[in-house]
Amino acid sequence: MTAREFASRMLKLDRRIIFMLMGVVTLIPLLYPLGLPVRVSPEAYQVYETLEKLPERSVLLLSLDFDPASKPELYPMTVSLLRHAFQRNLRVVTMTLWPAGTSMAESVVSRLAQEAGKEDGTDYVFLGYGPGEANAIIGMGQSLSAAFPTDYAGRATAELPVLEGVRSLRDIDYAISLSAGFPGLETWYVYGKEKYGFELGGGCTAVSAPKFYPLLQTGQINGLLAGLRGAAEYETLLHQAGKATAGMDAQSAMHFLIIGLIVVCNVFYVLSGQHRGRPQINP
Amino acid sequence: MLFWQRTLPVLITFVFGIALVLQYYVPHPASENFLQEISVWNQIIAGFAIVLGVGSLLSTHYLKIKHQESGWGYSGVLFVSMFVMFGAGLWAEGKAEGTVFGWLYDYVLVALQGTMFSLLAFFVASAAYRAFRARTLEATILLSAAVIVMAGRVPLGEYLLPGIGQISDWIMNVPNTAAQRGLLIGVSLGGIAISVKIIFGIERAYLGGRQDDSA
Repeated sequence: MTAREFASRMLKLDRRIIFMLMGVVTLIPLLYPLGLPVRVSPEAYQVYETLEKLPERSVLLLSLDFDPASKPELYPMTVSLLRHAFQRNLRVVTMTLWPAGTSMAESVVSRLAQEAGKEDGTDYVFLGYGPGEANAIIGMGQSLSAAFPTDYAGRATAELPVLEGVRSLRDIDYAISLSAGFPGLETWYVYGKEKYGFELGGGCTAVSAPKFYPLLQTGQINGLLAGLRGAAEYETLLHQAGKATAGMDAQSAMHFLIIGLIVVCNVFYVLSGQHRGRPQINP
Repeated sequence: MLFWQRTLPVLITFVFGIALVLQYYVPHPASENFLQEISVWNQIIAGFAIVLGVGSLLSTHYLKIKHQESGWGYSGVLFVSMFVMFGAGLWAEGKAEGTVFGWLYDYVLVALQGTMFSLLAFFVASAAYRAFRARTLEATILLSAAVIVMAGRVPLGEYLLPGIGQISDWIMNVPNTAAQRGLLIGVSLGGIAISVKIIFGIERAYLGGRQDDSA
């Protein structure tokens, strides 16, 4: 077999071998973590710093706009942000714009509130699912008690101590949307921040992070936690290594496997001589 | 019939379209109350849209089962899953803690959605091996940028190649942002153009009916 034939055969490598490599490469760092340090990006630091600068009992709105499909990336962010907010003794108002995320959101909020010894209705509230996507945000901008007459537990929002003085989104000190797509961070910016003028930060899956950089540079959002890396950065800032930090070693290994596969496939591509018949580019 | 099917919907769209555009620039309490009222109506209409969507989904899959089309068994799974989850949700009054609904959510939905999303990583790796080739200059630039960003966004990359994180940040902040802005401006202009066409009744495809009905 010539080198060219071998390269041509390797280019048609059975994808099950690649799947197996992926599985092994992901599993090993999870079993034997390297614990490499995570560099904190300026955009993640901005979110942390904003929470640090908020006075006690300020109102933080955390919209958990994701469903279980994005749990590995956005759930660790939720945990870190809630821990930080409860440590800072902020009033935490939580909700979701995704119906399939409601139970998950409710369980993480109540678990972390219990862990921090916070009282439901006084220190925090879970409003539940806001139907109507952008309309839920517009409704909250006009009147929070009209958009959510009751919270998830069925109590009248107008009577909850945690929402004292909070009539609409204009009374929110800082809002964060942890977003897996639409409706999410973009919706909060377009229909919420732009009209009702509150400070907005966000978290998103790694795949959607590039589209938020223009909003970040112009100050339309003041900070961004991008993917599992963003969650690990926040854990680093809190000095509380969690699931995101643990997952970074596996992500490192996977990224390098993909880089390796790209390099190898291009070497075989050149060796096979297929590059000689490459298409012409029109100027 | 033409009045109810065509003229009235176009008239409603025109009136509400213009009123909501003007509302944005008028901070008067009456204007704000109007917006609040509209947002409540929108939420009610969105509720009906869910009923419509579920109805349409069930009808499509019912026909698949009835005619025993290829893969009709999956339609059966959809029916069973939907009614079991719906019934469990109603029984538990939407509460998850300590209910069958919560159990189904935690141990079926969460696991299934997580699995589906995780599969992407395997397909991305396979696709990278098969498709990411330096066929042209543009493809080579794209490939190099992807490799730098992939290495620069993980701790192992920054450990093995000091400084690659900063290069990765530059790619995200400069070329990526420039391209994203171009896309954003293009999409926004397109959105404005289509909105104007809908408000003035030039674009009527949303009313349904024949293709030649519009324009």
